[in-house]
Amino acid sequence: MPNPCIKQASNNFERQDTYRYLLGRYYVWGIMRSQKGIKMLNIYYGDMPEAIYNTSLYFDNTYYDNWLQDDFSKKMIKSVDKAVVLSGQAVESKALGVIPVTKLSGGLKTLLLISHQPHKIFNASTCGDNCAKWILKIAERCDTDITINLRHIMDFGSGHFQIRILNNDTVVNNMSELVQVAGYYI
Amino acid sequence: MKGSHEVIVQNKRLRYRFVVHRNITILRGDSATGKTTLIEMIKNNAREGIESGIEVICEKKCVVLEKENWERNLKEYKDSIVFIDEGNAFVKSEDFATCVKKSDNYYVIATRDSLFNLPYSIREIYGIRNTSGNRYQGTKRLYSELYHLYNKDAFAEKPDKVIVEDSNSAYQFFDELCKREGIYCEPAGGKSEIYRCVQKSREDRILVIADGAAFGPEIERVMSLKYAKKMVCFLPESFEWLILNSGLIKEKELSVILENPSDFIESERYFSWERFFTKLLTDKTKDSYLAYRKDKLNPTYFQEVNRAKIVNGIQEVAGSKII
Repeated sequence: MPNPCIKQASNNFERQDTYRYLLGRYYVWGIMRSQKGIKMLNIYYGDMPEAIYNTSLYFDNTYYDNWLQDDFSKKMIKSVDKAVVLSGQAVESKALGVIPVTKLSGGLKTLLLISHQPHKIFNASTCGDNCAKWILKIAERCDTDITINLRHIMDFGSGHFQIRILNNDTVVNNMSELVQVAGYYI
Repeated sequence: MKGSHEVIVQNKRLRYRFVVHRNITILRGDSATGKTTLIEMIKNNAREGIESGIEVICEKKCVVLEKENWERNLKEYKDSIVFIDEGNAFVKSEDFATCVKKSDNYYVIATRDSLFNLPYSIREIYGIRNTSGNRYQGTKRLYSELYHLYNKDAFAEKPDKVIVEDSNSAYQFFDELCKREGIYCEPAGGKSEIYRCVQKSREDRILVIADGAAFGPEIERVMSLKYAKKMVCFLPESFEWLILNSGLIKEKELSVILENPSDFIESERYFSWERFFTKLLTDKTKDSYLAYRKDKLNPTYFQEVNRAKIVNGIQEVAGSKII
């Protein structure tokens, strides 16, 4: 009788190999695209060991004051947390009054991380659907490709967009195309 | 633990008020609605008591479980409502699911991840919204409540295809109904296969029937297919609940139980409510002509009068004819 543990281990190795292959392929593809000046939002669905999972904690210990000072960040903060930036260390929130930056919402902290550390991969499932349009905007204005990790199906709205799903290396242009792929990997 | 428990968490600025109905409640929804703030307030109250300036009003003890030593800490919590914030990856693990299954606590978990190891109900997935605000001693208090994220769909058209969660009695019953209407009925082979089944379907209008009591982990990806397919979901607690609710079984006690199931369902004994309803139906029909078996539906249920009663009950729950 075959040992189920061996089968399990073999499946894990196969999964890891596929994962490494896809990341490698994406890396080469990313260099080619950067050379052509084309940028895109990449999403990896499901568990991703490289991604920073607890984005709130990571933000609290790594953010710089100037992350809050640019107009784009101020707009995001106003839109998501309904808060006005007072300084690099404090905001005035409609619900909570004057609070330190570490008390911003988990979703907003993740947006600020994606925006200011585009080479890192963050768990964007800490973001609600009200952050989706901002993720698309960050990807649009960033000089490089952005990659995020999602463990749920974020609703990017009914508009047109271009997102590459790294799990199976496909580009989707709207939610109808996205949901038909993403559900297999979460 | 059993029963529904109201929880009020407040300080001078904020007030949360909601009711926890069963063993697992999921908090999600938009960012910046106050999920983390709620859990931090409970944590500060549990640690500092009244000196925190935060008031937690609940007949059960409210505690917060964090990543560090979660297994050891969880063993100490008895008959409590356990809150877990986002960022705690352990909630996805099988070990956590095993602990939840064995414990007599209720759990309120803030996460957007689908927790496939936990059989939570579609009716216990909530977001937080602010309903009103007033000024109190110069501060602003926002009154919050929980609201259902996944509502029952409207059934406007007759489906071309019906997908039923598994091949047990529910499928056998709905298959019989579908045959009469000339509709193709397919068993999905488990709730985790429903997404794949809908995705591969070529029919125009698809009706999905599954047990809502444990469909929580699947609801998001299945419902997301509405972007790509004409699909509606009918998600009652369970097929057994539909039979019990139809009035086919004459028992005085039944209406009392069905009105407030949480008062009768001990979380330690029943991981999800559909197991309770299966046992209840099996016990109530034992040794009678309606004797119920989950794997093979008693032919009595297909008889004209009995079938009509169940169908009427289904229509009442769905709001209109579904097949």
